[in-house]
Amino acid sequence: MSSGSTLAACSALVRRDLTLVWRRRGDALNPILFALIVIALFPLALGPEPQQLQRIAAGVVFVALLLAGLLALDTLFRSDYEDGSLEQLVLSSHPLSLLLACKIAVHWLTTALPLIVVAPLLGELLHLADSVRWVLVAALLLATPLLSLIGAVCVALTVGMHRSGMLLALLVLPLYVPVLIFGAGACNAAQIGLPYLAPLLWLAAALVLALVLAPLACAAALRISLS
Amino acid sequence: MPPISDTSHDFHDRPPLLEARGLAFARNDEPIFGPLDFSLHAGEVALIEGDNGAGKTTLLRVLSGLLAPSSGEIRLRGEPLTLARLSPQVALLSHQAGLKHELTALENLRFAAGLHGQRKGLSPMTALAGVGLDGYADVPTRQLSAGQKKRVALARVLLAPVALWLLDEPYANLDLDGIKLVNRLLERHANGGGTALITSHGAYAYTSGTPRRIPLRPGIGHRQSAIETAAEQVR
Repeated sequence: MSSGSTLAACSALVRRDLTLVWRRRGDALNPILFALIVIALFPLALGPEPQQLQRIAAGVVFVALLLAGLLALDTLFRSDYEDGSLEQLVLSSHPLSLLLACKIAVHWLTTALPLIVVAPLLGELLHLADSVRWVLVAALLLATPLLSLIGAVCVALTVGMHRSGMLLALLVLPLYVPVLIFGAGACNAAQIGLPYLAPLLWLAAALVLALVLAPLACAAALRISLS
Repeated sequence: MPPISDTSHDFHDRPPLLEARGLAFARNDEPIFGPLDFSLHAGEVALIEGDNGAGKTTLLRVLSGLLAPSSGEIRLRGEPLTLARLSPQVALLSHQAGLKHELTALENLRFAAGLHGQRKGLSPMTALAGVGLDGYADVPTRQLSAGQKKRVALARVLLAPVALWLLDEPYANLDLDGIKLVNRLLERHANGGGTALITSHGAYAYTSGTPRRIPLRPGIGHRQSAIETAAEQVR
């Protein structure tokens, strides 16, 4: 009898989740379409003056991506909770926090990363300044995993409840605000030629902290949700 | 196949595989079941009997470590239970089968094998054949009937390299062949030194050998007991 290594369990989980995303790829496109629509609507509502759009470009892209992420957040544990897979994860002999970290990583890869890839294009729709483009990408690369990790803890807390959408938004938004402030702050600083490294480093520090703590909190919250 | 009592005799010198002492569970101060005392040795199959709402599922969830008992203790091979020690030794079949509908039967089992490991001499493919689903390996689980899904879930239990099976309503949704299959799997598991706890509300039951019976009565003050007294008065 072999109970298998933790590495094998993690890779099986990652492979399964990626296959699932591929089989439901229609759903996976939703956040990208959502962000695209939001950003395409801004010039229509505010008028096409490049100066005005340029001023708000980074902030709009940031907010659109944050909301798109929020849209996809509830799916993180929902189906696993409903079909009993989550129980099986909890009962496995491997550290639950590590398995959940894998799930969150796959979720980030499939929901946030495609958006980051298209973010420069989305910025172009709003005349985003060249100097800000790569700061925006760097800020998003640091901020979106942070949002996924914070969001995962809140999802884990609310997954046992029916219709938890509103509660989830209420829990998550105050925690998302500092991330938004630092991320958009870095872009704004870059735009007016101020040093932008400090807010990025703050984001990086918070990301490191969340990488370590969020999976543990997530595991504890899920055990509570399941009991 | 030899009768179970003969094979299980050798295991009786060791501490029981699973032992419950004064085990009780209450949700929001409302007793669900217990206190309950029983012990199960390797090679024994026990049937948890009780009416709907008597706490059979809750008992299995407590024994699997998903829920913490409100009093009493569970010992596994003589040692008090902690989740970390427990999980490599338990396979749980609950009402939600834990199968992904978008994946095929085989993909579901491969994932289970990756997560829980697999029993020596078995592979996801042979486990699937073992529950009579040879031709269904590449069929998406969504397209399987409820009984076939149950069989895939049973294959997952069969595949897990564990001694203790906790099966919640293993007979539900199964046809007559399926019921025989469950009994055959249980018998083989018991003969191999394994232990199983199964719940059933009595329509079908483990028939080979003489399974231990653990009657489950609702905890004192439970709504159910009030209903029962009322029903008896009517009679």
